[in-house]
Amino acid sequence: MALLEIDAIHVFYDKIEALKGISLAVEQRQIVTLVGGNGAGKSTTLRAVSGLLHPRQGTIRFDGRDLAGLGAHDIAATGLVQVPEGRRIFGRLTVAENLEMGAFTRRDRHAVAEDRDRMMRLFPRLRERLKQVAGTLSGGEQQMLATARALMARPRLLLMDEPSMGLAPMLVEQVFETIRTINAQGVTILLVEQNAPAALGIADHGYVLESGRIVLSGAGRELLDDERVRRAYLG
Amino acid sequence: MARMGAVDVALWGMRIGVVLVVVVGTIGTLIKGRYTAAQWFDFVMFGLTIGSIYAQIALGYTMVYGVLRLINFAHGDIVMTGAFAGYFVAAPLDRSGFLQNHPVPGMVAILVVAIATSTTIALLTERIAYRPFRRVVGLAPLICAIGVSFFLEQTFRGAFGSAVKSYPSPEWQRASFNVIGFNVPGIDVLVIGLALLFMLVLYLVVQRTRMGKAMRAVAEDGEAAALMGIDVNKVVVFTFTLGGVMAGIAGVFYAFVYKQVYFFMGFTPGIKAFGAAVLGGIGSIPGAMLGGFFLGLVESVGPSLFLDGIGIPAPYQLRDLIAFTLLIMVLIFRPQGILGERMAKKRA
Ligand SMILES: Nc1ncnc2c1ncn2[C@@H]1O[C@H](COP(=O)(O)OP(=O)(O)O)[C@@H](O)[C@H]1O
Ligand SMILES: [Mg+2]
Repeated sequence: MALLEIDAIHVFYDKIEALKGISLAVEQRQIVTLVGGNGAGKSTTLRAVSGLLHPRQGTIRFDGRDLAGLGAHDIAATGLVQVPEGRRIFGRLTVAENLEMGAFTRRDRHAVAEDRDRMMRLFPRLRERLKQVAGTLSGGEQQMLATARALMARPRLLLMDEPSMGLAPMLVEQVFETIRTINAQGVTILLVEQNAPAALGIADHGYVLESGRIVLSGAGRELLDDERVRRAYLG
Repeated sequence: MARMGAVDVALWGMRIGVVLVVVVGTIGTLIKGRYTAAQWFDFVMFGLTIGSIYAQIALGYTMVYGVLRLINFAHGDIVMTGAFAGYFVAAPLDRSGFLQNHPVPGMVAILVVAIATSTTIALLTERIAYRPFRRVVGLAPLICAIGVSFFLEQTFRGAFGSAVKSYPSPEWQRASFNVIGFNVPGIDVLVIGLALLFMLVLYLVVQRTRMGKAMRAVAEDGEAAALMGIDVNKVVVFTFTLGGVMAGIAGVFYAFVYKQVYFFMGFTPGIKAFGAAVLGGIGSIPGAMLGGFFLGLVESVGPSLFLDGIGIPAPYQLRDLIAFTLLIMVLIFRPQGILGERMAKKRA
C-alpha cells in the first residue's frame, strides 16, 4: 500500500474546476514529483492534500487513513507536512521561534532539541541566525528555514511546493541536493516543480499535470527522455 | 508640481489649524501661567491613570485584529460587563465593611469575578457571533460585531436598569502620598501599578509561551500556521481569553476611577481604546500600550494646555473633543499608527 493515495479528486474554486479527477500515489521512501506549467493545478493538489481545500469528489488516503473531514492542523499532526509555495516563513518571529512552530505538535522536548541540532548541521547558515527575525533572511536562507521548520515536525511525508522558485541557479542546485539528503534520511517526498528537468532528475516517479489533469506519468528518468515532455518543458 | 485638489487643501487646512491651536494655545497658556505645577502634575497623573486603562482595553482590540483582522466592536461592552460583575461583588463587600478593612482580598475578589465574567462573555461572543463569519469577506463581520455591542448594552440595560449605579469608594482609595511636594493619589498608583504588572505578564505570555508564539504565527499567516499543526481555533480562543482578562481588569479600574457603572459605560472608553490601538499601529502589542498612555495623557493635559491659551473657558470639559480630534487626525494622516503598518496592506 502506498503511503499517499490520491484517488480521482475534483477540486473547485467556486465554479471553476481546478482539478478534474486526479489520481496519484506516493510510495514509502520515494521521491515523487508533480510537474507542470503555471496554473496547471500543482499547488491546488498539495493544498487539497494538506486539508486547506476540500475535494468535492474523490478520496485522499495517508497511510491508509481517509483524510476527509480533517482540518489542516490535524493532517499536519499525522506526519503529513507541507513547505508551501513562497516559503511562508513567519517573518516577524525569530528563526528559533519558526523552528519551534514547526515542532508545535510534538511534546518530546529532548527529541525536538536533537532535531534542532540536526537542522543546524543540515543548514549551518541558520545556526548563526537563530536569534534573528526571520524576515531579515535572504531568499535562500528563507527556503532553508521553511524546509527546516517543516522537518522539525518529523514528517513521514514532506510536500514541497516549488522550493526552487525565485532562487539563483547555484542555490537551486543546493535545494535539490538537500531534497536528496532528506530523502536519504528516510523522509518520503512529494515535490511540486516548474523546473521539470531538475525535479525529474532526482525523482523515482513523476507525474505531468496540465489544466487539472494528469497527462503523463512514469519513472523519473523515463519522463525526462519522453519526447512529449522534452517538447513541452525542456525546450 | 502636482496641483492640489479641494480635498488636499482642506486636509492641509486641518493640519495647519490643529498645529496653530496647539502652538498658539500652549504659548498662551504658559504665558498666562494660570495653572500651578501641582495642577499640571494632577493632569499628568490622571492622564497616566486613564491611559493605563485605555492601554489594557486597546490590547484586546489589537490582538483580535492581529489574529482575525476583525475589529471587535463589542470589546468596550465586554469591559462594561466586567465592571458590572465587579460592582455586584464590590457593593456588598463595601456595605459590610469588608472592602474597607481587607482591601487586598476584597480587590482580588472583585477582579476575579470581573475577569471571569468578561472573559466568559468574550469567549461566548467569539463562538456564537464571530466564528460563523470567519470566512465571510466584506462588512458582515463588522456589522455582526456592532450587533453584539448593542445586544450586550441592551441586555444589561434590561437586566439591571438604565440608572447609573455609584461604584463603592472605600476610604483607603482616597488616601494619597506626598512625593517631593506633589500630591499622588493612592488609587492612581494602584491602577497604574497593577496595569503595568498585568501588561508585563501579558507581554511575557505572548513572547515566551508556546501559545503566545502560536498566536503571533497565526497573526502573520494563519494558513502557514495551520500547516505547522497549529489549531487556529484554539489560538483564537486564547486571544479572546487574553483580551477578556484585560477587559475585566480595565472595567473594574475604569469604574473605580469614575466611581460609577451603567450599561453604556463601555462605549466611550471602547472607542477611545480602539483609537489608541490604531494610534499605536493596530496589530502591534507595544503599540497598543503606548497608544493608550499617549491618548490618556493628551486628553488629560491637552485641554488646559492647548485650549486655555486661546481663551476657551472651562477647557477641562472638552477632553473628549481633544481625544477624538487626535484620533481623527491619526486616521487621516497616519492610519498605520506610530509603530504599525497600514491596515490595507495586510494579507487578505
Ligand atoms: N484562490 C483561487 N481562486 C480561484 N482560482 C484559483 C485560486 N487559486 C488557483 N486558482 C486557479 O486554479 C488553477 C490552478 O492553480 P494552481 O494550483 O495554483 O496552479 P500551479 O500551482 O500549478 O501554478 C489556476 O487556473 C488558477 O488560476
Ligand atoms: Mg503553484
